[in-house]
Amino acid sequence: MTTGAYLYVGAVLFAAGALGTVLRPTVWGRLVSTEVMLAAATLTFAAAGTGFRELDGQIAALVVVVIGLAQAAVGYVQVGQRR
Amino acid sequence: MSVEHVAFVVAAVACISGAVVASTHRDPRTSGAGLFVMLLSLAVLYATLAAPVLAGGALLVTFFLTVPLVVHAAPHEPDAGGADAPAAGRIALGAAAVVLAMLAGAIRVGEIPRNVSLRSADGYDLAGLASRVTGPSAVAVGTAVLLLVAVAFAARAARRASR
Repeated sequence: MTTGAYLYVGAVLFAAGALGTVLRPTVWGRLVSTEVMLAAATLTFAAAGTGFRELDGQIAALVVVVIGLAQAAVGYVQVGQRR
Repeated sequence: MSVEHVAFVVAAVACISGAVVASTHRDPRTSGAGLFVMLLSLAVLYATLAAPVLAGGALLVTFFLTVPLVVHAAPHEPDAGGADAPAAGRIALGAAAVVLAMLAGAIRVGEIPRNVSLRSADGYDLAGLASRVTGPSAVAVGTAVLLLVAVAFAARAARRASR
């Protein structure tokens, strides 16, 4: 596969997440959309890292996964408190 | 068409469809299901990139975070819809088109390497990854681990406070 194919998928994912972030007014909607954007960033890091034959991309992607986890945990508490 | 191509196409279509459903659907349960599909197909995409650690991370996030989030925390009422949603949507789509055009230009100019296939990756360099984690990227990884610990404590404190 070409690197571009993965990067295009990441770009489309990021656009979908950005669209959801501005379109959906609720905490839940924005939380899910931000998760989609973080997943897009992770895929882009991993694809670029593999394409350039550098493992730094995967490490950056792992850090983004952890940030996504932290963000989702905070959102979990926020959404739970608003119910 | 090789197995790698088929896996990529199926996973990419599922990933994009799941992301669109997750981001735009007003029903929280359907939106959560879209997120679930997206993360699972993302794990397949990582596997085709010869990045099993990331694929495992995506699966862990899916099963230990997304599923509990959807089952326990999803609100029961659908969204009411944003007041200025069409204008904001047009701006977001315009920005996405600009980013896509920049990406296409970079690929056409040759700024981005062409192949990421499993065959050209020469296997998975676990020892190399370990040396990076303990060497040049130690600060970033250490910060990520600290963040994980902080999240665990914060979640525990929040659960105690809500009782």
